Amino acid sequence: MGKRASSLPNMVLTLLMITAVAGGSLGFVFQMTKAPIEAAAVAKQQEAIQLVVPDFDNDPAAEMYELTSSEGFPLKVFPARKGEELVGVAIETMSNRGFSGEIKIMVGLKPDGSIINYQVLEHRETPGLGTKMDDWFKPAVVVEGRKEPGTRLLDGFFGIKAGESGDTKNILGKHPGTTRMVVKQDGGEVDAITAATITSRAFLHAVEVAYTTYTERTDAASSATTQYNEEEGGDNEPVE
Amino acid sequence: MNRLIVSPSPHVHSGDSVKKNMYGVIIALLPALAASLWFFGLGALIVTLTSVVACVLFEFLIQKYILKQPASIGDGSAAVTGLLLAFNLPTNIPLGIILIGSAVAIGIGKMSFGGLGQNPFNPALVGRVFLLISFPVQMTSWPLPLASRASYLDATTGATPLSVMKEGLATGRPFSEVMGDVPSYLDLFLGVMGGSAGEIAGVALVIGLIYMLWTKIITWHIPVAVVGAVAAFTGVLHLIDPAAYASPLFHVLTGGVLLGAIFMATDYSSSPMSVKGMLVYGVGIGVITVLIRTYGSYPEGISFAILIMNMFTPLIDKYIKPKRFGEVIKSKA
Amino acid sequence: MNQWSNFSKGFLKENPVFILLLGLCPALGVTSSAINGLGMGLATTFVLVMANIVVSLIKGFIPDKVRIPAFIVVIATFVTIVEMTMQAYVPALFDALGLFIPLIVVNCLVLGRAEAFASKNNVGSSIVDGAGMGLGFAFALTLLGGVRELLGSGHFFGFAIYPEDYGMLVFVLAPGAFIALGYLIAILNRLKKA
Repeated sequence: MGKRASSLPNMVLTLLMITAVAGGSLGFVFQMTKAPIEAAAVAKQQEAIQLVVPDFDNDPAAEMYELTSSEGFPLKVFPARKGEELVGVAIETMSNRGFSGEIKIMVGLKPDGSIINYQVLEHRETPGLGTKMDDWFKPAVVVEGRKEPGTRLLDGFFGIKAGESGDTKNILGKHPGTTRMVVKQDGGEVDAITAATITSRAFLHAVEVAYTTYTERTDAASSATTQYNEEEGGDNEPVE
Repeated sequence: MNRLIVSPSPHVHSGDSVKKNMYGVIIALLPALAASLWFFGLGALIVTLTSVVACVLFEFLIQKYILKQPASIGDGSAAVTGLLLAFNLPTNIPLGIILIGSAVAIGIGKMSFGGLGQNPFNPALVGRVFLLISFPVQMTSWPLPLASRASYLDATTGATPLSVMKEGLATGRPFSEVMGDVPSYLDLFLGVMGGSAGEIAGVALVIGLIYMLWTKIITWHIPVAVVGAVAAFTGVLHLIDPAAYASPLFHVLTGGVLLGAIFMATDYSSSPMSVKGMLVYGVGIGVITVLIRTYGSYPEGISFAILIMNMFTPLIDKYIKPKRFGEVIKSKA
Repeated sequence: MNQWSNFSKGFLKENPVFILLLGLCPALGVTSSAINGLGMGLATTFVLVMANIVVSLIKGFIPDKVRIPAFIVVIATFVTIVEMTMQAYVPALFDALGLFIPLIVVNCLVLGRAEAFASKNNVGSSIVDGAGMGLGFAFALTLLGGVRELLGSGHFFGFAIYPEDYGMLVFVLAPGAFIALGYLIAILNRLKKA
């Protein structure tokens, strides 16, 4: 068959048919994938909650409630309970100060406010730099084989000093009320990710927001406050 | 044999050659080298030697085994690149990083584009910026001058005046207090501050400039335009708000402005040919440097500024052409 | 045309990235690791084959003046299908490629093959062309990603080859992508000459 002439009815009709077929098939695929996409999102959320708060036996997702940060972002709070006792909360928090776009993290806080663990949920940071935040702020894993003579020679060749940053990049177990959750460049107490200071700032900002929003809320309810003040003088004295 | 030799013009050669100019540049760099040896001792010696030897060696290897050209390392241009690269490195930088920097400077910065005279970017700066992005930690810990002359890798480190200023402002300390941590202007001019090997001693760099102007290796236009633009731009900022912006003298004497303006921006093949073009190019470098220093995330921006303006050199040469000899200026009809 | 040469031309002779320099946005943007490059390449291959099939089927039916919008709608449909399927069944890969999947729509390689090949050839040849070009694209992206991953972070397909601390960060960033691409093109040209 030859080409159809480019007359107006022909063109309109053709585009109409193509878009109709395209729309129809997209609708079909959307229906097909809707359930799996939601399931994947829920699974990811469950996984993150399980990682950032200690064992619990309730369903945190069912007890989820929302708080609004001072900047107006909604924060999802997932309380984790064992029996009747509150063992921690997982807070889905975010910051829009990242290098590119928003950073969403799930951070687990003990009832007194100290950090249990965190997991990065969503971000668009630079691969290889900003993406290091996945593990950067956790305690350093001791790399095996660092003591081999060959590696030591290479370390000298490239000027890498093992463990020079000590514990100052780790935020787990620390309390945002006593440890300033700001990178060292800005006068805080946390080492920024090498060559990704902006990402580090945004990350710590998100943690800070989660902490302040949550404690303000509990202050208002005045339930955990006294307990939190008692513990403050304990193991996390300010370094200054 | 008494024959009449017939040859095309020119008949009288000035004796100017690549070799002569390159060795002239090396002589002009000697005061700064002496200053870096005085301030940083052993570290400066190791870094400079490694960098020069590595650059010459890489040029020789690439010419012999990859390009299969006759070797041209005798003209001194690879040695100049090595020397300038070393001047742009902290003197406690480990050997492996110097080797990578030299390979990048010669391999990517120079030979990839066809060798001497064909490179659109200053090769030493290509090496330096490559290292700065690749190894930010090692490239931004500078040894303290005088304090650690006998040590190399384990030298005591400190901040440069520019990074003191940037970090001070970021932490929100009052500006006058921050500036109290910075050495005096005389110290800055003599070079008693943290920094890369060859950039600290302003007085030695100026002596090199005077020598190069005297022997006509370079003209005054680019260095003066760069320094003038930095001074003018920071001067305006300083006048607007002296409590937030440092004085022009501080900006000219710190970081790599003098080294960059005198030795890096004046690289023949990556800078414009006409006088007007040189002025445009120099002012561009100065303005971009101040923009990066004041508003960017890096404390120092002269290397980036020079590379950026290197990119504009062909464009500048295209629009600002030197007048042809004997050309009559067209009257507007 | 010989179907084998029609298929194999995408790998070296007319490689989309190294020779035609098409689709450089994803080629430079997502190739910070080999696995990202492979994933992006395979997703593009799928879109390319499907778009080529449909375009060659409906080529006689579309009036000339509206062929570009028609092709774009076809391509965009398949890209959205890929996006939703990935999000549902391989969320980890979807997280890594994220932003770049929708950009397959404007990848000039896909529209270019639809316009230059599929709208002039029959279905069989179009499938072979799409598969060849797509796999050539995937090959180029994987190679580029592998080189950048190895030099930048000391890994290859996620396996540690040497400690990450020795890696040259610049190769993980955009400038390193340009440098690596430039040298890969130079090496391939040299090999072709020999």
